[in-house]
Amino acid sequence: MGALGWILGLLLSPWVFVPLIYPGLVSAFAVLLFIIWFERKLAAKVQRRFGPYYVLRHLGGATQLVADLIRYLFAEPIIPEEADALAFVMGPALLFGLTLLPVVAIPVSGTFYAIRSDVSLLIVLALLTLGAAMTLIIGWAGNNKFSLIGGLREGFLSMAYEIPLFVAALSMAAAYGTLDLVDMVEVQAETAWGVALNPLAAFVFLVISFLATSRFPFEISEAESELVMGPFTEYSGIMYGLTMGASYLKYYVLCLLFSIMFLGGWEPVPPQLAAVPFGPGVVVFAKALALMALGVFLRAVYPRYRVDQAIRLAWHYLLPLSVASVFVSMGAAWLGLTGA
Amino acid sequence: MGGVEEVGGRGGRNPVVSLWGHLKAVGTGLKYLIAVPRMTVKYPDEVIELPDGYRGMLIYHQDLCISCGLCATICPANAIKMYLPSGGGGGEGGGEKPETPPKRHPGIDYARCIFCGFCVDICPTGALEHSKVHDAAYERVEDMLYRPEEFAAGPPTVEFERPPKRLRPVMDERRGISYEPVG
Amino acid sequence: MSGAGSGERTLELLIGPQHPASGHMRLVAEVDGDVVVRLRPDIGYVHRTVEKIAETKTYLQTIPLIERPPLADTANHNLGYVMAVERLLGVEAPPRAQWLRTLLAEMNRIHSHLYGLGIHGIMLGSSTAFMWAFGDREIMIEMAKRLTGARITYSYMIPGGVRRDLPPGFAEEMEKALRYLERRLPDYDRIFFSNPVTRARLEGVGVLTREDAIRLGVVGPNLRASGVAYDVRRARPYAAYPELDFQVVTRSEGDSMARMLVRVGEIRESIRMIRQILARMPDGPILAERYAKMIPPKWRDYVRETGRIKFPAILASLRPPKGAEAVSRVEAARGEAVFYLVSDGGPRPYRMRMVTPSLRNVVLFSHLTRGCRVADIPAIYGSLDYFPPEADR
Repeated sequence: MGALGWILGLLLSPWVFVPLIYPGLVSAFAVLLFIIWFERKLAAKVQRRFGPYYVLRHLGGATQLVADLIRYLFAEPIIPEEADALAFVMGPALLFGLTLLPVVAIPVSGTFYAIRSDVSLLIVLALLTLGAAMTLIIGWAGNNKFSLIGGLREGFLSMAYEIPLFVAALSMAAAYGTLDLVDMVEVQAETAWGVALNPLAAFVFLVISFLATSRFPFEISEAESELVMGPFTEYSGIMYGLTMGASYLKYYVLCLLFSIMFLGGWEPVPPQLAAVPFGPGVVVFAKALALMALGVFLRAVYPRYRVDQAIRLAWHYLLPLSVASVFVSMGAAWLGLTGA
Repeated sequence: MGGVEEVGGRGGRNPVVSLWGHLKAVGTGLKYLIAVPRMTVKYPDEVIELPDGYRGMLIYHQDLCISCGLCATICPANAIKMYLPSGGGGGEGGGEKPETPPKRHPGIDYARCIFCGFCVDICPTGALEHSKVHDAAYERVEDMLYRPEEFAAGPPTVEFERPPKRLRPVMDERRGISYEPVG
Repeated sequence: MSGAGSGERTLELLIGPQHPASGHMRLVAEVDGDVVVRLRPDIGYVHRTVEKIAETKTYLQTIPLIERPPLADTANHNLGYVMAVERLLGVEAPPRAQWLRTLLAEMNRIHSHLYGLGIHGIMLGSSTAFMWAFGDREIMIEMAKRLTGARITYSYMIPGGVRRDLPPGFAEEMEKALRYLERRLPDYDRIFFSNPVTRARLEGVGVLTREDAIRLGVVGPNLRASGVAYDVRRARPYAAYPELDFQVVTRSEGDSMARMLVRVGEIRESIRMIRQILARMPDGPILAERYAKMIPPKWRDYVRETGRIKFPAILASLRPPKGAEAVSRVEAARGEAVFYLVSDGGPRPYRMRMVTPSLRNVVLFSHLTRGCRVADIPAIYGSLDYFPPEADR
């Protein structure tokens, strides 16, 4: 019993719980298994189909993704002869791992977090940028022209979206007067949700989270009908599974960040959850998941933009809008709306 | 180069028009997400009834057959060939000459058949007709060849794991095709 | 991949034949960054010697063969071939057969255009456009199934007429189907045709000028989208078209969007035409008297009651006069199809020439893609409604 209690205590300690269970690895996997299934169901409904159906029929094929995962695990991972084997094999794992990394700085509640830093927003943003570099490496490693082009597209896009993303996120820091995500939630609890304070920044952030994670209409670097999954053309088996999961994972992280910065984080905490230290995290999770559902729904609505159009959108529209959002934040702060 | 210029033109890149277009697209998506029924038929749990006159696998009435060979002559895919009674080689006669030469009868190779129905339409005695079977599956390609006596035994019966629900397609102004249960 | 020192700056991309958006062909693209310098369609991947096989088949047996290459657009090619055979034989189908042929041809045009639009949709990444179009194509397949007994390869038109008359209740069911399609088209428009992303992808992309369209001998909706109102149904009316009221849909822009919208317009016109056909279909026989009177007497009642033709044995070995030649032209869904037949007096064509619309449009690949973006390749490809098997034959 003593050992069990010790293990339980270790698991429930924030610095293990956050990266490993919530919002880290375990919940990330759960999200992946759910959201990809849900995306397929949403698209299928709009397209007047059933989508996943036969795997656990009574729940609408809910375990389809588990079946897919098992299949990926047992599929032969093929390493092309001419590929840069080390980069090729390490790429997916690093991409997946690095994409998940930012969650360590995301607080679960006002009292439960792995890292409390007064620059935690900057930490999250900085860690978010690491994945794109891995995509570039993956695109190169496969020794496939489509992969190369896909990787380069991702590179161009990341240069185009990162600046407006940072500016939009930092404009909220200006509004709340803090870079600490915990403080941001507290400011929102006292005043109003960020999405009301600065809808412009929220809009820019949301569009960029679609752009940064290959959601439609920005599913550009993968573009099945042009580049045959772009950087991931040569992957098979679980390595492909990881690369495919990584974009959803990044979207998950961005949605968590969005919920904390713009949707009031864990506020309002239902009283039933307030007693559990990580209880408020459920609220953040629910908000993030709802936001993810919106993003995956767009698959059923949109075709994809061309890469130059997406880049133009980012530089010509999103960047000026994000700069404008800084002024909106300053205005809000000046009017005393944020209490800062 | 005469290729691509900047995108633009009709309606231009007016952001208001564009925003309205986005809203309409997302709205239509939502409408279908919520309100519009699916069109999938869950084969093999649900099976569509085929209309009269459907050109399915063939039924061969050997008693009506006069061995005229028109079906084999007209078959565009050489699926139907005339066979001697079993024992004889496929299409070619045997060694000895009996009193009256044995009649040849048609056999069909469903690996070749394209279901054009020419054989049925040209059969002067009605020995060939279409069934409504079209979803047979074979494990071996040789099984798809039906010599006359097998051909006369009728098309294969399709076995389902669970008894399927039979549906009849009816045109519907709102749903496209609506499927009404039969029997 | 060109090395840094080699002095080359272009990359050769082999798109296909095993590629999700190449179809059964290979596109050899030379790209400079994201810009296509040159694109060469490597045709012939699904060439299956249709013209040569036709020389080994009787005239009737060639009908199913003709239907294979342009799959999705079988009836129009069937019609073109049968018209040529009839000219060889000097036989003419009775009026009701002509109207029935036109009915199936227009149903098939809707089906084929939906097929093309769906493929275009998935090439742009809109899986919804793809699924919708392929789902709604089922409407016309279902109706054709009731009329002909087959879903796609109908082999419905034979020299001298058609094989089956309208089944009972067909007109009422068709009216419901057409109303449904008319209700659906605005939704297609909102989610795909007028979607700002689709417009950004297609407007101004792959512009074909009127002059180039004429000079290159482009046919079909691709030609009409460049402002040339040429349509065989109007220029050389055949079957029941002289008596139908329809518009030749044209647009002036000549870009990928225009080509797509011409197809949408043609779906609407086909809907109008089907209504007219079903309302004004003349009564009468569906097989030319010359063959009808050879139907074995015991089948005459059957034919009258069921409306299904029993072939007279002569159809198995039609022999046009020696040296006869015939050309026919039809407006197939993808453009003008031309059939040329020569008879040597035997039961098989001496020569059968089949010029399909895709064959004549393949020239556009290299013409329209010069200077476009890599991502425009599928956008332009889809807008051409090019079907490799149809071109390769």
